[in-house]
Amino acid sequence: MSRNGERIVLETQDLAKNFGGLVALNGVNFSLRQGEILGLIGPNGAGKTTFINVVSGVYMPSRGRVIFQGKDVTFLPAHVKCRLGIARTFQLIHPLTDLNALQNIMVGAIFGRGLGLREAQREALAVADFLGLRDPGRPVSELTALEVKKLEIARALVTRPTVLFLDEAMAGLNIDETEEVMGTVRRIREEGVALCVVEHVMHVISKLTERVVVLDGGRVIAEGPYEEVANDERVIKAYLGEEG
Amino acid sequence: MRHLRYVALAAALTAAILFPFYSGLYLRQVAIIILIYMGLALSWDMLLRSGQLSFGISGFFGLGAYAAVLLQLNTGTPPLVTILFGGVVAFVVAFLLGIAVLRLRGMYFAIVTLALSTIFMVVAKNLPSLTGGVAGKMLPSVVFGGDSVKTYWLALGVALLTVLASELFQRTRVFYALTSIRDNELVAKSSGVDVFRYLVLAFAVTSALQGLIGGTYAQIYGFVAPEETFSFTFLLLPMAMALLGGVYSTEGPVLGALLLGALGEYLKLHLPYGHRLVYGVIVVIVMLGMPRGIVGAVRTLAWRVGRKGGGR
Repeated sequence: MSRNGERIVLETQDLAKNFGGLVALNGVNFSLRQGEILGLIGPNGAGKTTFINVVSGVYMPSRGRVIFQGKDVTFLPAHVKCRLGIARTFQLIHPLTDLNALQNIMVGAIFGRGLGLREAQREALAVADFLGLRDPGRPVSELTALEVKKLEIARALVTRPTVLFLDEAMAGLNIDETEEVMGTVRRIREEGVALCVVEHVMHVISKLTERVVVLDGGRVIAEGPYEEVANDERVIKAYLGEEG
Repeated sequence: MRHLRYVALAAALTAAILFPFYSGLYLRQVAIIILIYMGLALSWDMLLRSGQLSFGISGFFGLGAYAAVLLQLNTGTPPLVTILFGGVVAFVVAFLLGIAVLRLRGMYFAIVTLALSTIFMVVAKNLPSLTGGVAGKMLPSVVFGGDSVKTYWLALGVALLTVLASELFQRTRVFYALTSIRDNELVAKSSGVDVFRYLVLAFAVTSALQGLIGGTYAQIYGFVAPEETFSFTFLLLPMAMALLGGVYSTEGPVLGALLLGALGEYLKLHLPYGHRLVYGVIVVIVMLGMPRGIVGAVRTLAWRVGRKGGGR
């Protein structure tokens, strides 16, 4: 299977979301291809996290459609979308503090894939190993910042997703740690997963992604390779303001 | 270590079963009441593990009690079968109500369950032709003709059933579902947990246990009456027991029920009017010092000691 295959696995058409009078998403057309790493960027409040929340089923859209592997999944709830293969991590890390790290990962294996406890534990250990999360029997409170980020990714990855949204999975990490997670992201792509990476650090986006989608005010204002997008006038305006 | 646990468990179980042979009538009566409260405390905790605080205990307890008594009076069904019926009625009612109210969370869910308890009581009061109104209904005789040994075993059996259900909740995927829902519902959903289904299931099963216990209670004492059967004592005391012993475990509510039950009885003998006040104060003090109850405090201590010994 070609890594940069043209096959679209996830697509949104005219996706919109209002919160009362606030328009958070305003007609987003977006596509994610098999085996690609896509960067989703935009200034604060652009609608990136809302977009992930709508696509993953946390919020229902006000308008538009979400097509996953050719099927309309727009109004399916989050747990069903997870089982179908749409996984995501959270911007604000949310480890389940009453479970240890391994049990955190097991939740994804048990419910995202319907495995029994023993099998789920085996899968969780394998994913922890893949991510380099050592000694996963530890309580979550003993994990380092990097390990908590890995835990978030592990819980999503163990569901064997087709597409994976990483919402600022590298925020708050130092340079070495960021490099490590970037390597992990590439290895996940090698497994055939399509990744959509939300990140504020531009050198991560430039090094990691093949294609970038820029959101501003709930709309896609630019799309293309990073170098192109970074020089786009509208993008510069969105980040720096009208005055430039 | 594991073997030791099983041996201790088997010993405790044997002691509990043989208890009537080395106790008198008074102690047996006290034990029966403690077992009743133990089941309620444990079933309340089982739902709390999903983060949902229910004040519906006394409601479903009373519902089961009424169902058992009315079935026997109207159809002559054997007492033990009517107890099961109490559980079934509570299950069905909780299942249907759960579908309606489990969109609510936190305080809103808690308040609705409190209202349910009250509504059940009001209904019982206002349907005199069926429920006997404010006077309630009497059974022609109590279960086993009042044989305190058999009655004790009945109460023990129901309490053990609750323990078994609680352990099933702790050792199966239900544990992962409820704990993840309690810790972060958004993460649970996004990891594939069907949150609504598990909440309805937990609410229906724990209410069924409360109905079963209510049916048992009504058969043991031979009557139902709105103010007595739907008394908030069946709500507040089990909660206090679970909190004292330690929530989110089987051991905690069991231990809490034994301690607070025995203490309550002791205080009742020595302070006939002030005993509730005294054990209320004890619960407050313990909660301030040990938010996860006795079991939680012991676990934390054991963990710290184990770490010092093993780590350095």
